[in-house]
Amino acid sequence: MKFYYITFRSVTHAQRGESILKQRGIRCTLQRTPRWMEEQGCGYSLRVWTQDIHLPVALLEEKGVPKRRVYLQKDDGQLEEAQL
Amino acid sequence: MIYLDNGATSFHKPPQVYRAVTEAMRTCANPGRGGYGAAMAASEKLYACREAAGKLFSCQPEQVVLTNNCTHGLNIAIHSLFRPGSRVVVTGFEHNAVTRPLHGLDARIVVAGRKLFDWADTLSEWEKALDRGADGAVFTHVSNVFGYILPVEQMAKCCRERGIPFIVDAAQSAGSLPVSLEALGAEFIAMPGHKGLLGPQGTGLLLCRNGGEPLLRGGTGSDSINQDMPADLPERLEAGTMNVPGFAGLTEGMCCLLRRGTEDIFRREHAQLRLAAEGLKKLGLEVFAGEHQAGTLSFRAGMDCEDAAAALAKQGIAVRAGLHCAPLAHRSAGTLDTGTVRISFGIDACFAQTRALLQGVSKGVCRKS
Repeated sequence: MKFYYITFRSVTHAQRGESILKQRGIRCTLQRTPRWMEEQGCGYSLRVWTQDIHLPVALLEEKGVPKRRVYLQKDDGQLEEAQL
Repeated sequence: MIYLDNGATSFHKPPQVYRAVTEAMRTCANPGRGGYGAAMAASEKLYACREAAGKLFSCQPEQVVLTNNCTHGLNIAIHSLFRPGSRVVVTGFEHNAVTRPLHGLDARIVVAGRKLFDWADTLSEWEKALDRGADGAVFTHVSNVFGYILPVEQMAKCCRERGIPFIVDAAQSAGSLPVSLEALGAEFIAMPGHKGLLGPQGTGLLLCRNGGEPLLRGGTGSDSINQDMPADLPERLEAGTMNVPGFAGLTEGMCCLLRRGTEDIFRREHAQLRLAAEGLKKLGLEVFAGEHQAGTLSFRAGMDCEDAAAALAKQGIAVRAGLHCAPLAHRSAGTLDTGTVRISFGIDACFAQTRALLQGVSKGVCRKS
């Protein structure tokens, strides 16, 4: 299982994203976005546990929920932006 | 008290509304501002409110902007769509919440359709006014004075066919008649939270099709470096700390409606309205009743309307007299000089209320007039 962060501009988008992913059985939690990830200031993100990030991202796109960026948490705990 | 002023606010809320308000005050911090439990709990309350509204009004949660009241929502909508000099078509039954913002904006207000309970006239005049050219339209779903249900589906279709953006004022219909952002195709639909939706005062909803221009600017808890308001709904139109207890209560009110169904509520209110209208007519009063009427009606009693309402209040019957913040509607009906006494049924409409009203009018109004 891999850990990802999907960041959003709006808490409401993050909440709707959480609802959509959970309805599909994808484990995720809503949290504040780490400051360094969010160049525009404060925001919210979803921490997602998944093998394949493409499915949650596709679900969000299908439902019209705009995201900002996706980060992968590597084995050493460092985060890097995922290339989708 | 026999409460017949639901057009002003629903007074007896479902018990879960009171509980939700209290619980939110005890458990919620500032929504969208922090990541700790109490802040996240507050954000969840607001999201639950948007979700419930989305189910009731056929829209997505982010299209639901939480406002202070219907007037607040109408001001956002009107200032988003119109500029000084805009030609804006309205009906003859609009509330001051529509006409004052338009007047303040120096818009050119065109009034179309002034005949009560006459859909053919309303639609004919509406089309004529739109065909003379319009930058937009604003129309009420139900007259707050007379309960006249306007043919909003057809009026919306007329606007859509001409590419004219429009705003619907659902102040008196939300909660008892179907209202769908998707089906109407409105740019905005504004409504209070504290009337038919059974929430606390100080709450309202603005349903937005695409976006809107902020009336207030300030903190949103997101996108903080950007000195413009965020581009995304709903935060774009929600500056400052939100009324979390109020919206927690409103969510419970809307959940009650979702469980019970608006058709049942309308049927109940309408049945009492018919009985009240017949009874008041038999007592010799001038009653404004007709086809296409919701749970509200006005009457005149041959005495000052405020005196009539005071006489009823002495008997424990709460009604509203005067112009009801809608001088345009009174001008259309020819009652501007006198005003009217308005009765408006709510979710608890029942025969005992109607009987008490008729007895109260017979005793306190007819004998004095």
